[in-house]
Amino acid sequence: MSTTSQAPAISEAARGDWRALLTRHEMLLLYVLIAEWVFFYIAGTSTNRRGVVVGFGTWDRQFDILRHSCEIGLLALALTPVIITAGIDLSVGSLLGLCAILFGKLWHDGGLPIPVAMGLTLGIGALAGALNAILITALRLPPLIVTLGTYSLFRGLAEAITRGSITYTDFPENFLFIGQERWLGLPTQAWIFISVALAVGILLHRTTFGRAFRTIGLAPEGARYAGLPVERRLALVYVLAGLIAAIAAIIYTARLGQAKADAGTGYELFAITAVVLGGTSIFGGTGTIAGTLLGVAAIAVLKNGLACLPVVMRLNAAEEMSGLLTGALLLVALTASVLPKILSKLRPRRHTTIRTIPPLSP
Amino acid sequence: MSSPLLALRQVVKNYGGVRALRGVDFDLRAGEVHALLGENGAGKSTLIKIVTGAHAPDGGTITIEGQLIAELTPAVARTLGIACIYQQPALFPDLTVAENLALRLDATTAHARVDWTARRTYATALLARIGADISPDAEVRYLSMPEQQLVEIACVLGSGARIVIMDEPTASLTQKEQHLLYAVVHDLRKNGVGVIYISHRLEEIFALADRVTVLRDGQSVGTQELRDINETGLIRLMVGREVAQVFPAAESAPGAPVLSLLGVGCNASGVHDVSFEVRAGEIFGLGGLVGAGRTELARILFGLTPADYGQIKLAGETLQLSSPQQAVSHGIAYVPEDRRRHGVVLELALEQNITMAIHRRLFPTTWLRFGAERALALDYIRALAIKCAGPDAPGGSLSGGNQQKVALARWLATRPKLLILDEPTQGVDVGAKTEIHKIIRRLADEGLAVILISSDLPEVIGMSDRIGVMAHGTLRAILPGGSDPRTVMAAALGTAA
Amino acid sequence: MKRYFRELSVLGALLAVLLGLALLAPAFFSPQPLLTLITREAPTLVVACGMACVIITRQIDISVGSIFSVCSVCAGLLAARGWPLALVLPASVGLGALFGAFNGFLVAVLRLPSIVVTLATMVTLRQGLNLVRQGEFVNLPDHVQWFGLSQTAGQLVLVSTALGLLVAQALAMRHIAAGRYIYAVGTDAETARLAGIRPQLVTLLVFVFIGALTGLGAMMNLAQSPQVQPLTGNGLELKVIAAVVVGGVAISGGRGNLWGAFAGLLLLACVSPALTHLHVEAYWEKAVHGAIILLAVIADGLRSRQSNR
Repeated sequence: MSTTSQAPAISEAARGDWRALLTRHEMLLLYVLIAEWVFFYIAGTSTNRRGVVVGFGTWDRQFDILRHSCEIGLLALALTPVIITAGIDLSVGSLLGLCAILFGKLWHDGGLPIPVAMGLTLGIGALAGALNAILITALRLPPLIVTLGTYSLFRGLAEAITRGSITYTDFPENFLFIGQERWLGLPTQAWIFISVALAVGILLHRTTFGRAFRTIGLAPEGARYAGLPVERRLALVYVLAGLIAAIAAIIYTARLGQAKADAGTGYELFAITAVVLGGTSIFGGTGTIAGTLLGVAAIAVLKNGLACLPVVMRLNAAEEMSGLLTGALLLVALTASVLPKILSKLRPRRHTTIRTIPPLSP
Repeated sequence: MSSPLLALRQVVKNYGGVRALRGVDFDLRAGEVHALLGENGAGKSTLIKIVTGAHAPDGGTITIEGQLIAELTPAVARTLGIACIYQQPALFPDLTVAENLALRLDATTAHARVDWTARRTYATALLARIGADISPDAEVRYLSMPEQQLVEIACVLGSGARIVIMDEPTASLTQKEQHLLYAVVHDLRKNGVGVIYISHRLEEIFALADRVTVLRDGQSVGTQELRDINETGLIRLMVGREVAQVFPAAESAPGAPVLSLLGVGCNASGVHDVSFEVRAGEIFGLGGLVGAGRTELARILFGLTPADYGQIKLAGETLQLSSPQQAVSHGIAYVPEDRRRHGVVLELALEQNITMAIHRRLFPTTWLRFGAERALALDYIRALAIKCAGPDAPGGSLSGGNQQKVALARWLATRPKLLILDEPTQGVDVGAKTEIHKIIRRLADEGLAVILISSDLPEVIGMSDRIGVMAHGTLRAILPGGSDPRTVMAAALGTAA
Repeated sequence: MKRYFRELSVLGALLAVLLGLALLAPAFFSPQPLLTLITREAPTLVVACGMACVIITRQIDISVGSIFSVCSVCAGLLAARGWPLALVLPASVGLGALFGAFNGFLVAVLRLPSIVVTLATMVTLRQGLNLVRQGEFVNLPDHVQWFGLSQTAGQLVLVSTALGLLVAQALAMRHIAAGRYIYAVGTDAETARLAGIRPQLVTLLVFVFIGALTGLGAMMNLAQSPQVQPLTGNGLELKVIAAVVVGGVAISGGRGNLWGAFAGLLLLACVSPALTHLHVEAYWEKAVHGAIILLAVIADGLRSRQSNR
């Protein structure tokens, strides 16, 4: 093929003038990420009494970052196409919980072999996504409120099935390998994460599906007038989100070695934050997988890096501090995204003169 | 002589690069009904938006009772007693009739108490005064179009406005309600209110108005006392220029019928019993006024609003069109009227816009082939002479005419049998207009069947081989190409036939 | 009748649940537990009133849970320092209004989407609170619980405050011009502008309003227990949004009223005791909530489909 096809996946979005801005956004995020990393490398690495290097600058720590960012990262990957179509899916975190305990139940109570249980879990995830999809496309209900309902429903089912207390544990070693060991040098689940990222990236940037998602996000009516199958494409996006949430559920279970009903609580918020931070517009139409990955990395490095700082370690507040900074970062990113528009509006108009309103004659 | 109620001097308004108003003068006296006439796109709506404060003018002055108004916002317009009855009722559909009236009439102070009993009584009285039989507690969304229009009229009546604008108020009214409206207009005039009355129905204008101002191409071409002018004179003023433009001539004779409609109608979109044929190589013009049902007919043919009855045949095959995908797969292409919302996705690159309707053919495996896409886009950019920074420039960076060419390219790429063009030259500058005309003619000469919907009278007359004139959702007449514009206008206005 | 069909159907569902309880578990209606149940929902009701306004203007606020927590903790700390309640109350309300103003500024002036803005404030405030407090409880002086009154008297005060607010606001939304502006902006901001309303100002004020109500709700929560725990507002936003949506306030703006939201809130609040009394495991509560929300939106979807035809 010609050279154009070898361009990186961003190329689809990196074209044209206004897209330079988007690319800038991703570059900016990359600088932030590098700065973060360098800072934590310097401030968060130390040598302990036995002369062993500990803290941020160790390979173990780097792998830990990767290991811990897989689940939220997967949800962020699931949400990127959704948000690009100008939709939202609040239910992915709950679905992660539901899939995790169903997986545990299928294996533990159902006595199914692990691979079969995995396959069924993926099917359940897709089915749950299909429930969202049907309500959103066939009944034309707003995604926000539909997925708010399923957010409650999925978590509720998970709690009901486990009666709030059952935790499935004692998974076999070869299953835990997925979440706790390394394969070919990397944490095993990282390979799954990378594969899903590649798959979604290809779908979004290299196929007509991604084109359709973007078009629907930018101009839903325009897409209909161009003969694109708007409903089917939208449905695909939500089913895919369900499927990826199920994958995240399996990885979560394998990492912790247990399946509980509260698995993934609040993950949807971090995933949405990562996606928006990565430059995907909440209004739809623009966004890249590369940006999402950078957004996920920025949040993950922040969280783990903070945990290595002596100050934060003394306070034992890494979680909170990273959450606070993530929220603040999102606010700054949002404001920055509209600033040019606001500034251009503030330029003086030509015809503003003194207001003289004559009184209403009787 | 006392100063007029409302005086506009040299009002200019630009939308992007398009000059909607190029220096309009307009006077309204107290106690007169002043008709505003003009073809579609002549600038009537823009003028209204400026008088109601919805849009700020780019130049010129607005004087009300001798007072120069520096900045006219909707709120200021209200306090000055300017009220408008829009073509599409500007009501709040979720609220009741009484609530709508209250919002429109009492919204001046936020802490004010809304006295519902009084308001309901007042609403009842107002509705009774115009003779409308509508409950003040009815939710507006459940009212029919004419009923909503009557509520609008009641709002305006109740506001005690001194300047009342009526934008085609009778468009959706039945005979009975029209008479109610006429009575209201007479009533207003008697009370010294100035009424700006916009309508395409000439008989209405002659029955109601005292004076008439005709707008053409964003300029006023004259204000006349109505008793000094007759129908023919008015039509001549509206049409104005003789057809001075040169349109490309057909080089080949039309071939076999491609599309034939037999008694097609759709109740939801108000199209009734339309029958005609379009042949290969023929440009079939669809003339008529806005709201005559032309776009609605096109939407039926494109599967957006499926027909309820009648037969649609394409190249001998009877079609059941229920989605745009079906229409596209049968070789029907539709370049919509609203270019910005439906035609070109402004944020997407040209090449992506051009290939949008042929994903399946160009990317059979769904894998995007950027090289093939660019080559195809470049072909069309050259063939249609699209002026752009490159195939990767976003659609929004192009001028209106070039955007239209992109929309055209998208549909030509589908290799259609039938091409429906809806107002293809609206908001397009003169040079691009001529180019688009040439392209359309060339396509027809290559054997494409073309339906050309246009409100630009010279265009539809000059370009078409035959002209179907629509009014009130039906086909009124089929005239030969090059007909006298006055005949076409008369058919569209419904005065003849 | 037709106009209030949606609200009446929620009321019908609520009455049906209550009737079922009366037949199957009459113990539900013993006065003291019932009063306790309603008291527990009083702060939620106050916040729900604000949420109804926000959703009617076609916005959403998911930061109320975090604002609630922050206001609770701050008010608790002030009270623990010996501030009189007469000063703690306005401080809490003012703090809530301040946060609301921040949200409102970003949404109305910078025109950012409310869902993301309030998501960001939600995360920031929640984590900020965790960071500062490290999950520590605030022990309140004795005069705070039930405002120093007996439990029943305190409960009655809280419930009547909440109901009084509900009635006042419901009347205001109908009988004061400003209330109608909220509907007008939510129905169609452009038409509202043409009618002389300032949509941006209305949006800003609505966010300030819900912030203030959240601050008040936090105070009402404070009075119910001897301690404040920093997670007290977690999940409140979803509970409140669910109640409002079930009660017939359309997420697309412009439709619905407080009575419906009230009925929706009661319906959802009844689920837990109903499950207990009917000997269904309480773990089903969330699932039943989700199902009720979905049923409500499906009904709305089917209805709007019909009326479009």
